[in-house]
Amino acid sequence: MFILNPQSGIPIYRQILEQVRRMVASGQLPPGTALPSVRDLALRHTINPMTISRAYSILETEGLLERHRGRPMTVASQAKNHSQLPKRLQQIGPLVEQTVVAAKQLELSEAELVKAVRREWEQNDD
Amino acid sequence: MTSNAVEASNLKKAFGEKQVLQDMSFGVSPGDVIGVLGKNGAGKTTLLELMLGFTAPTAGAVRIFGHESYSLPGDIKARVGFVPQQDELLDQLTVADQLRVIASFYPRWDSELIDRLCSEWGVNVNARIKSMSVGERQKLSILLAFGHKPELLILDEPVASLDPIARRQFLEQLLTLSTDEKRAIVFSSHIVSDIERLANRIWILKEGRLDWQGDLDSLKESIVRLHIRGAGPELPAFKIPGVLNVRRDGAFATAVVRDWTPEAQEALEKSASVQIEVETLGLEEIFVELHR
Repeated sequence: MFILNPQSGIPIYRQILEQVRRMVASGQLPPGTALPSVRDLALRHTINPMTISRAYSILETEGLLERHRGRPMTVASQAKNHSQLPKRLQQIGPLVEQTVVAAKQLELSEAELVKAVRREWEQNDD
Repeated sequence: MTSNAVEASNLKKAFGEKQVLQDMSFGVSPGDVIGVLGKNGAGKTTLLELMLGFTAPTAGAVRIFGHESYSLPGDIKARVGFVPQQDELLDQLTVADQLRVIASFYPRWDSELIDRLCSEWGVNVNARIKSMSVGERQKLSILLAFGHKPELLILDEPVASLDPIARRQFLEQLLTLSTDEKRAIVFSSHIVSDIERLANRIWILKEGRLDWQGDLDSLKESIVRLHIRGAGPELPAFKIPGVLNVRRDGAFATAVVRDWTPEAQEALEKSASVQIEVETLGLEEIFVELHR
């Protein structure tokens, strides 16, 4: 379910946070979906379980996940699923910033970058 | 009485005139996996040996389950497992004999677990120890430390001679122990990628001191490389809080900092009117940067 890279400079709990937020916001993880247990994830990816618990707790506090006794955590029912537009925009902010910085370093114009984004968007639209 | 697996305060160790460890204070709780990093000679082995009570501290104390490590009662010793850097196997024995010898010391020996691991790890119980490769000996040393189900497991570079597959099996077993049974694990290794997977906390030893201790997650968030860009052709002069090293090059600079926060970034961008891009670093990079 997750793509986790322990060697990355981004702590694993953050990698999980970002992926769950994105998948919930996009509806890829609809309300009620069960998440893998901490133990399963730890053993499947060979990573320390505490960093996973930490991510799950933060997501619970944010209202994205619900904890149940003796059952797996699930995506919250009154899902912030399709969360507010400003929030979703904020989530993609860092990626946009990186892209813009790279484009400027390559001396691309704004129009050229927008064109490239549009082309990618359309190719991805199936 | 403390229930922590390990508790140390102002620990010091000198061999004659030579200060090997200075002013170390730390704790290890059940379920913690501590990755100990340090250059050769930084004091890792001495630190682990102090925890095991092989040698007495010059000052300060280490307590294991509430007892001074240098004079551990037998029943507390039985709750500790150790994998030394140099194995202490008996060459003339077979694997099965060696396992039997060690098992006889421990009433809680889990022979079912050890039999299972022997077959999973490909350890031939009929082999004579003197005919085994370094990697096979290392596997056996690890098994010998697992069998009595220690609540505190201390490992001094346990995997240096294991191939990647054997290392992964070993990591999986350690993770199972820490996840299912809340064992405390302290292990030193130069294989940073293993520590990155397994540890939740990191100790970085530098010249006999704990240069950094804390969550691996916080370490990665607080030590980062900044790429700084000014508006003009020359960067203005400015001071970066917590800077470890900096390289200026005309309108650009790169700097590695510790204790970095988003607030620090905002403050610096405003006060120096520069743009900052933050590059996060893997553990190996962090370790190298702390030693530049």
